[in-house]
This record gives sequence, C-alpha cells and structure tokens, in this order.
Amino acid sequence: MSSATTFLLTTIMISFIINIAISLYGVFAKPSLVKKFIALTIFSDSVNSFAILIGFRRTPLGYPSIAVMPSPPQSVEDLKRFVSEAVDPVPQALVLTAVVIGLAVNMFLVGLIMLYYKYYGSTSTRRVKI
Amino acid sequence: MSEMLPVIMAFVAALISIVATWLAVQERDMLIATLFSALQSTCYALIYYLLMAPDIVLVYLPVSVGILPLITIILIKKTERYEE
Repeated sequence: MSSATTFLLTTIMISFIINIAISLYGVFAKPSLVKKFIALTIFSDSVNSFAILIGFRRTPLGYPSIAVMPSPPQSVEDLKRFVSEAVDPVPQALVLTAVVIGLAVNMFLVGLIMLYYKYYGSTSTRRVKI
Repeated sequence: MSEMLPVIMAFVAALISIVATWLAVQERDMLIATLFSALQSTCYALIYYLLMAPDIVLVYLPVSVGILPLITIILIKKTERYEE
C-alpha cells in the first residue's frame, strides 16, 4: 500500500483517539446523567473501533478481503493464499461479543438512571439534596 | 486509485464522526444529542464496513442505531429533556 493510505489510516486512528477524549470529557464534566450515558456509549464504540482497526491488516496484493472462505480449501496453497489476503477475524469476534454485552450493561444503566430520577427528582448530579 | 477509495470514504466518515461526537456532548437538548449520537454510530458502521468487517455491521447497526436511541428517547421521555 502507498504512503497516502498509511496517512489516511493514521488519521482514522487519531480520530478515534479524539472521539475517546471528547466522550471522556462528556462523562466527567457534564452534570446530567443522560448526557453521561450518551457519552459512555460513544466511548465504548470508539474503543471497539480500535480493535477493528488492529485487525485490518496490510496485504502485499492490495486491499484485503473479508475473512470468509467461500468453499472448503483443497490444498495447503489455498489456505496460504487465504491467510495472506484476508483480514484478521479474531478482533471481529471479540467486538461482536463486546457489542452485545455492552447493550446489556447499557440497559442496566438506563434502569439505574430511572431509579435515580424517581428518588431524587432530577437527573442532574449537582442538584441532589440528600 | 481503486484501493484508495474505501480508505478515503472511511477517512471522511471518521471526520464526520468527530463533529457528531462534539455536537452530541455539547448539545443542551437531550433529544438532539441522541440524534447526533445515532449519526456518529452510522459513521462508525460505515467505517466497519469499509475495514472489511461486515459481520460487525449486521450486529452493530440494529443495536447502536436502533435499540440504544430508542431506549434513550424513552429514558428522556420519563425523565428530563433539557440539561441545566
């Protein structure tokens, strides 16, 4: 791949880092719990994107292909060619699991925010009187 | 040039996702912030597709553009809409 592709992939990685920084600012600095929740979902998505970007490998043949074999391999050379031109499927499997588990955790957080509003009368963390 | 085109599209989607994240964090109205969050998730789904992970897109798109904004809108309806 050319150096322009390297530049663009590096820029995509830096944009993930900027997204992580903005969403962490939202989690820590914003008083509303709903805003913290939205920023937390953005944070988890950005961290998952890092794993996908690690699994995107460079191949000498050009743009890599999807990690799926359309037919069973007939010889060792078929397997070698597939391994040399496909992306890494392991981070994709990990992210697939992380998305589903993150959905369950976010549902739990929504329930906690509803209970918070029921007891304290507000979702802001600055107006709570105990 | 043909192998550059998916990377350029992913680059543009990454830039749009930065703007959407900033607007989602800074917006006072929670409903509009939820919509900006959905826009950011759409950009990430496009990036996943262009980085050769279409199986992630099939799971991520219903979860993060469908279910999570729906649950957040229900949460906003039951609690407060505007940030102080």
